[in-house]
Amino acid sequence: MTAVQKRILINRIALSFSTLSAIIALAFLFWILGVLVMKGMSALNWNIFIFEGAPPGYEESGLKHALAGQLILVGLATSVGVPLGILAGTYLSEYGKNSKLAHTIRDISDIMMSAPSIVIGAFVYAIIVMPMGHFSAWAGAIALAIIMIPIILRTTDDMLQLVPGTLREAAFALGAPKYKVILSVVYRGAKAGILTGVLLGIARVAGETAPLLFTSFNDNFFTTDLNAAMPSLTVTMFNYATSPYEDWQQLGWAAAFILSMFILGLNIVGRLILLAGKRK
Amino acid sequence: MASIIDIKEECALQVRDFEFTYKGAAEPSLKKVTMPIAKNSITALIGPSGCGKTTLLRAFNRMHDLYPGNTYAGEIEFEGRNILNPKEDLILLRTKIGMIFQKPTAFPMSIFDNVAYGMRLQGIKNKTELGDRVEKALKDAAIWKEVSDRLKQDANGLSGGQQQRLCIARAIAVEPEVLLFDEPTSALDPISTQGIEKLVIELKERVSIIIVTHNMQQAARVSDYTGFMYLGELIELGQTEELFVTPKEKLTQEYITGKFG
Repeated sequence: MTAVQKRILINRIALSFSTLSAIIALAFLFWILGVLVMKGMSALNWNIFIFEGAPPGYEESGLKHALAGQLILVGLATSVGVPLGILAGTYLSEYGKNSKLAHTIRDISDIMMSAPSIVIGAFVYAIIVMPMGHFSAWAGAIALAIIMIPIILRTTDDMLQLVPGTLREAAFALGAPKYKVILSVVYRGAKAGILTGVLLGIARVAGETAPLLFTSFNDNFFTTDLNAAMPSLTVTMFNYATSPYEDWQQLGWAAAFILSMFILGLNIVGRLILLAGKRK
Repeated sequence: MASIIDIKEECALQVRDFEFTYKGAAEPSLKKVTMPIAKNSITALIGPSGCGKTTLLRAFNRMHDLYPGNTYAGEIEFEGRNILNPKEDLILLRTKIGMIFQKPTAFPMSIFDNVAYGMRLQGIKNKTELGDRVEKALKDAAIWKEVSDRLKQDANGLSGGQQQRLCIARAIAVEPEVLLFDEPTSALDPISTQGIEKLVIELKERVSIIIVTHNMQQAARVSDYTGFMYLGELIELGQTEELFVTPKEKLTQEYITGKFG
């Protein structure tokens, strides 16, 4: 066997191993998605969107409470987390730059990103739920916002830094004050990237269960009271799926399907926006 | 040793014993530079890479202030005052001394909004006035015919040469007194370069121009005065023709004949 033939052989072996590994990894992904779609689709019906939670055995039982709760929790978390994340990212990229403080914030934020979400739930439990004396939507939303902030902060920071420095200089050279340069030129240049970061941040927290378990807890009925426990798709799914009742398990599948589609949709939209931004 | 001629015209800017030190540097990057900048003329700055010509150019609109820690010494007189004064209003200064960069810097917005950017900063909101002045600036920058039917489109769709003329339109729309060009054609093809050079010559009717260039032919083609810089010093400032034909300094002679560079 010549040296070239040997290299070709080694190349083929390496290629087949990596292809095989990719197929195995993807097979599990599609297996999960397949089971989810089959079980989830069959469990879907209009009642799910019309009725709130009911004891096992009731025909008129649905997920309206959990859907509404999920939207409220994620919506609140977004309205707290997105402005904070974007503003902090702006500070890092435009003001802090390479200062010690900025580097420290970046490092802490990276650590926060990989912190177990249940730890954040425990933290919010200690600082909000305990003093208030009860679970609340506020507590849940704040836990989700804390998880969201480092994600949005880092993407904003990264995306703003991609805007060429000469573009900033050109705006300064026309006599623009710094805040105008950031608002009218830098943000515009990084628009697609920041929006993607926001969508991915929302998608990330929308699937969280652990931090909600002891902050917003759960409820089987529809509520908009932010000072009371609030149901969410994730915690409801956990409760229903682990229950012994067939009809609750069905609702659990439906909840899993709806949530997954929502998150998948957000991810796809986020990537499409980034792609469209790059193409320009 | 420097040979600086007295200029006949009125001065737009007067540089006296100017020194500039970058943050953390032991030595100043510009040493005792003294030069007049003639009004309604084109002054070219030439010299090998690292000689300080761009550093000097960026001092005229205090661009260095964007990065803290740099220090100025000496004087740059503009409209009867020293613009190196820490109390100088940089926003106002930069509306009077505009700048064109090496790479085109079209903002990520429409062609119209790009040109209107500086005027809007000055608080001009009237739509007819904005429209008229955008049109005039684009005509003066010789790009109106190419873009008049697509003012609402993204400026990043234009070619490099068109973007550079758009940047010139944006700079002249605010009616500055002085325009600084930092190697404005080094990223452009020969035909676009020719267009920009023609435009620069036309513009001196209304503004005083300082242009940094790597290209000695370009300096010879467009400028009235040329300054040769070397290692942070202004070696010679003279009328362009004289400087290129009969330089007074030996260093200048060696540089323009290609003995180093």
